[in-house]
Amino acid sequence: MSSKAKILDLAGYLPPNTLTNADLELIYPDWPAEKIYDKTGIKKRHIASQDQTSVDLAIEAAESLFRNGKVAKDSIDFLIFCTQTPDYILPTSACLIQERLHLSKNIGAFDINLGCSGFVYGLSVAKGLIDSGLAKCVLLITADTYSKYIHPMDKSVRTIFGDGSAATVIGITEIGKGKIGPFIFGTDGSGGKNLIIESGSNRSPIDLNSSIEYKDTSGNIRSKKNIFMDGPEIMRFSLEVVPKSIHALCIKAKINLNDLDFLILHQGSGFMLEALKRKLKLDGNKFPICIQDTGNTVSSTIPFVLLDLIKESKLKSGNKLALVGFGVGYSWAACMIEF
Amino acid sequence: MLEQFYAGLAEIFEIDQSKINPNLSLEEIIWDSLAIVSTIALADECFEVILDGQSLSSCAKVNDIQILIEKAKES
Repeated sequence: MSSKAKILDLAGYLPPNTLTNADLELIYPDWPAEKIYDKTGIKKRHIASQDQTSVDLAIEAAESLFRNGKVAKDSIDFLIFCTQTPDYILPTSACLIQERLHLSKNIGAFDINLGCSGFVYGLSVAKGLIDSGLAKCVLLITADTYSKYIHPMDKSVRTIFGDGSAATVIGITEIGKGKIGPFIFGTDGSGGKNLIIESGSNRSPIDLNSSIEYKDTSGNIRSKKNIFMDGPEIMRFSLEVVPKSIHALCIKAKINLNDLDFLILHQGSGFMLEALKRKLKLDGNKFPICIQDTGNTVSSTIPFVLLDLIKESKLKSGNKLALVGFGVGYSWAACMIEF
Repeated sequence: MLEQFYAGLAEIFEIDQSKINPNLSLEEIIWDSLAIVSTIALADECFEVILDGQSLSSCAKVNDIQILIEKAKES
């Protein structure tokens, strides 16, 4: 079956409050600003305000997209919201977004609970809906506010993650260009414990023990209500899984790695990206690293890279891109898109 | 490769390369999760082996890291 889906437009939103390396240096005196940048590739992260949720970020990104004028609200017939920090356990946050965006009531809408792999998974679902004739115009929004779960004295994650949102519309291509696919998917739940918020849901409800703070061997402080990330294990997973996924994708797409115009990886950290760039032996011009001013915005990192490339006029019609999302879960997915 | 590995360790440990030797105790440097992450990437780059963080965190000296690398190469 020939694919009909293509990306029609994108927009992003970053909350105005920022956490810079200079701010972090005041909190962690043994980590000067320069060292933080050297180790993470990040200079600042945007942080949602106390009363700003992922749904608020999603609304901002979506309204920004509609202001572009390429896609009308009433053309949207499906909404996918990818987040791991929803407004409520129930109701579904996508339903709330439908209402606040004043989208038609005659649309489908659901949440996807995925992190770093979420944008690629979201694209796959959008493509499936369109190619099967179930939808014509899908609004995929990614948004997270990990900052709300990070302990202020846990530099292992506070230096890495930033909040943000991206809105992408996937519609029907009329001129045969802008294909999405093929896809490679992967899941390994044995890695679930390595990037986790332990307490706060049904497996480990909030109790008196949830708030007990402890210090790890690297001096980071957190409780079970906070995000825990095993950095070494995440690095090991990334080095093992990402090259194999790219290789599998290239075989499926019948394309050589070096024939890609761009390879866009989830922007987990600058250090990880540099390690993967060396491992893949790819031309740096084809391997964008755009984490400096946003930090790791979870499922929004890949669309933010696309937006950066568009802004810098680096993307040309017909460009072949590989997108690879990987991380929390463990979950990963890779796909080809023709811009 | 070993020289490249020692040069990389010197950068991670923030000490002069001349001090890197198999008997260097990891208690003499900051052997934290960041150093371990960097060592995982370095071992992969130099020897094409991917070490795990828990085994590395149990290392007491540089030679223990080298033993892990040799074991990984054999498997």
